[in-house]
Amino acid sequence: MARIEPIEGRYIYLTVQGIEYRVYYEESGKGIPIICQHGGGGDGLEWNRILMDCDITLKYRFIAVDLPYHGKSLPPESVQWWKEEYKLTKSFLMDLYLELIRELGLERPVFMGNAMGGFLALDLALEHPDQFRAVIAVNSALRAGKPTLDTFNHPDVTNDYRRSNAMYFCGPTSPEKYRREVTWCAMQSPSVTKGDLYYYFNEHDLTGKADKMDTSRCAVYLLTGEYNPTKSVEDTQMLIKQIKGSKFNEMKGMSHAGMAENPPLFKTYLMPILDEIAKQHN
Amino acid sequence: MAVRFIDPQNADFFRNALNADPEFKIAARYMTKDVCIEVGITKCIVKFRDGIVTQIKSENAFADPWDFAVRGAEDAWEKFLQPIPPRFYDGIFGGMVRGNFRLEGDTISAFSHFWAVTRMLDIFRELQNK
Repeated sequence: MARIEPIEGRYIYLTVQGIEYRVYYEESGKGIPIICQHGGGGDGLEWNRILMDCDITLKYRFIAVDLPYHGKSLPPESVQWWKEEYKLTKSFLMDLYLELIRELGLERPVFMGNAMGGFLALDLALEHPDQFRAVIAVNSALRAGKPTLDTFNHPDVTNDYRRSNAMYFCGPTSPEKYRREVTWCAMQSPSVTKGDLYYYFNEHDLTGKADKMDTSRCAVYLLTGEYNPTKSVEDTQMLIKQIKGSKFNEMKGMSHAGMAENPPLFKTYLMPILDEIAKQHN
Repeated sequence: MAVRFIDPQNADFFRNALNADPEFKIAARYMTKDVCIEVGITKCIVKFRDGIVTQIKSENAFADPWDFAVRGAEDAWEKFLQPIPPRFYDGIFGGMVRGNFRLEGDTISAFSHFWAVTRMLDIFRELQNK
């Protein structure tokens, strides 16, 4: 008998800011919908080991999206994208997800994101708290620094760089097999990292705004890897002081790659959060 | 802790270990660069020629040219070389973000060959702890 996992992939048409996109997403499970946003330059494959875990998907419905221009979400047909420099903006991300929620008929889903996705989780909680019952921001912070990004877009810098960097965005004790999967996924990336990092470095900034988040309308949970060098535990602790009612947990031994570098360990941090969300909404 | 890869007496042993490593062979393919690894004030030049490490030179290397350099204080390298390094010393990129290591020179080349460099340093860690 064939071994087939209960993950299903589909394309959905979304019109965002006047352009029609065929957006690929995968889903698994039943119950409270949880939208999963990948990191910069990545795709929904980062959530693969979560979507295939039957314990996790028993009570929750995971929806892992490939942003346009990422993974299986091809660039839109109506755009001559090869003539433009790709740039991801906060307004696009928000409009995309509001449209996705509408088209899929999701009732106040949970939004979970890692790194760039973690930034978006907080931006959504701030600006659209009534659309989501909770956000889970993995490896997030108030804002990021502003390094030069041109190096990462140079034609001499290939995906060899991405695969090696990805290895060290995992904690040193994360199992090698998962670390190597993280590098494999990073190697597949089309040249969108610099464009994604435009949002990450230039448009996400909660300075002076984080305290305006209303966790009674949208609960805020934060998880940060102990070893994450880009957004440290201390960076997140500074953030939670400003978000009244938010909850934080340090993921021991883990780093920037979050759910992908050690799925069994990530699960131990994720499940209590999901169960708390479920309890509050029953 | 003495950093073993800058000891001239270990140069040939480390060089052979690098060239025998299957992942390093792939990572370093076509690479022809001189890479400076600076430990405190000690310069160690690793010479790559067409993907092979031909020399590791840490004696009298003060005037040797290099294409790019990875620099750190001695105690930073000692932490990096531990079997399970502490956070912010476990990887060069993260270490640079946190100010524990510096990348200088032709940074485009460095990032082009980042896989070779990081695999090399991982092998240095393995040999440090053998």
